[in-house]
Amino acid sequence: METVLSIKNISKRYGKIQAVNGLSLDVKKGQVFGILGPNGSGKTTTLSVILDLIRANSGSFQWFGHDPDKESRKRIGSVIESPNFFPYLSPVINLKIVADIKDLGYEDIDRVLMLTGLFERRNTRFKTFSFGMKQRLAVASALLGNPDVLILDEPTNGLDPQGIAHIRELILQIAGEGTTIIIASHLLDEIQKICSHVAVLNKGKKLFDGKVSEVLAISDSFELSATNIELLISTIKFHPAYLSLTPGAESIQVFFKDTVHPEELNRFFYQNGVILTHLSERKRSLEQHFLELLDNNK
Amino acid sequence: MIKLLKIEFKKILTYKIFWTLTGLYFVFLSLGLLMAEFMINNIVDNMNKHLPIPIPHVTIYFFPWVWQNIAFFATIRYVLIFPAIVIIILITNEFTFKTIRQNVINGMSKAEIISSKLLLIMLISLIMTVLLTIGTFIIGVAHTSDLTFSMVAEKSAFIIGFFITMLTFQVFALFFGFILRNTGLSIALFTLYVFIVEPILYHFLKSPIVFKNNISPYLPVNSVLSVTEYPSIQVLKNIMGLNLQDSISVSACLIPLGYAALMIGIVYCVLVKKDL
Repeated sequence: METVLSIKNISKRYGKIQAVNGLSLDVKKGQVFGILGPNGSGKTTTLSVILDLIRANSGSFQWFGHDPDKESRKRIGSVIESPNFFPYLSPVINLKIVADIKDLGYEDIDRVLMLTGLFERRNTRFKTFSFGMKQRLAVASALLGNPDVLILDEPTNGLDPQGIAHIRELILQIAGEGTTIIIASHLLDEIQKICSHVAVLNKGKKLFDGKVSEVLAISDSFELSATNIELLISTIKFHPAYLSLTPGAESIQVFFKDTVHPEELNRFFYQNGVILTHLSERKRSLEQHFLELLDNNK
Repeated sequence: MIKLLKIEFKKILTYKIFWTLTGLYFVFLSLGLLMAEFMINNIVDNMNKHLPIPIPHVTIYFFPWVWQNIAFFATIRYVLIFPAIVIIILITNEFTFKTIRQNVINGMSKAEIISSKLLLIMLISLIMTVLLTIGTFIIGVAHTSDLTFSMVAEKSAFIIGFFITMLTFQVFALFFGFILRNTGLSIALFTLYVFIVEPILYHFLKSPIVFKNNISPYLPVNSVLSVTEYPSIQVLKNIMGLNLQDSISVSACLIPLGYAALMIGIVYCVLVKKDL
């Protein structure tokens, strides 16, 4: 498969802080590639390097198989950090400037404004927009002219639930058309829902990369309760995927080695004569997940 | 080139601050021109009180001298500061709004970013030169009797001097904007340098104790303002025996152009090296 982006051993230091530390990555055509990491893990710095905003101290990268130049950037649509537009200009004029730079015509502007739900507001000045609308205009600008690659840095940051759902749907739709997408996010949930591949960063270093289904294939925990807690505890230890449990006053929290479906779990207890009074799946925070990933890798 | 100008044009077309400050330049210039003749004649009147034979009233708006006089008044630092501030705002805006980052992301090179601002400066200077030429021509025709073509043509080279002054002074402003990146700071330091730092430096360097040869005329802002250094007031010249500038000299134009080239070079190097 054709390699769209190839990063080789990139490092970037800000004074004492090593923002990116010997990072190497390959993104292939058609992948939806997630860069996952907590705040300050070097996601935005990495994206800024590959978009020529900042110079890496060492290492190199290639777009579309050759060294980067402004022509390769014209084939990429990006949303980095905050939406950057002229506040006193309307979305249409702002997008016309983007189209001019990318050597595109203006005929695509209405389409991207409609896709992001901003068409009605196309002639109001950018500074009157809410943050969510600004973010959506940034996405619209990235979509202009159907770029070969889409780079999104925290694309749903600051959006309301409806906006988040809308943007995710849009990303999946674009991915379905075969566009290569690179998404940086600190939201595990977001990466799991959208991406096909993922690289996990921490403190500027890559911990893992690979298919999302493989890298993130550790099930979340369950909170369980039954009238007879003693029986519940003794039974759960016979579950083939059982890892550990944390007892509580009213309920217990159980961790599993593999993905466990709630339905399957419920059936397991029923077949063993335990009737659950409570069963809920618990999403772990990214920090917890990280610790686990780190532990597993020791 | 056309593409870059098209982009810049979109940024200024509906930008109120741009039109206000550019308008203010012409307002202050017109006020200055209206007052200049009046003020000079005020001095003449005062002098006449002590003279046996009174000096006749001065007019400065007739051909061919009108070219030099209006070019002089249109390039004193008090009016030149307006287009310079416009340029500083347009450049530092790109940093404030982070649109410079977005432009690079979207496929502009750093050389193109500087070129687009330089092209804008050239266009603004050119349009101002055309407007000034038309205005001066009308004023000149209204004040000159027995008009001949050679009278109109004679000192018209001062218009080129105006263009060079306008252009290089705005390049100085561009330098401050790109290096400091912050609107308030750039305007403050540029104004401070033009009105206070360099005039002090000028007098300091003029003293023979500091340097054997006087290098003060080569200071950047002074070199720009020296292109159209003095107005031409014939009567005062004859009576007071002042040896004032009579024409635009090529060497006086080359010094500010050299400074401008140097500043553009520095801005390019800094922009390429520094992160956005």
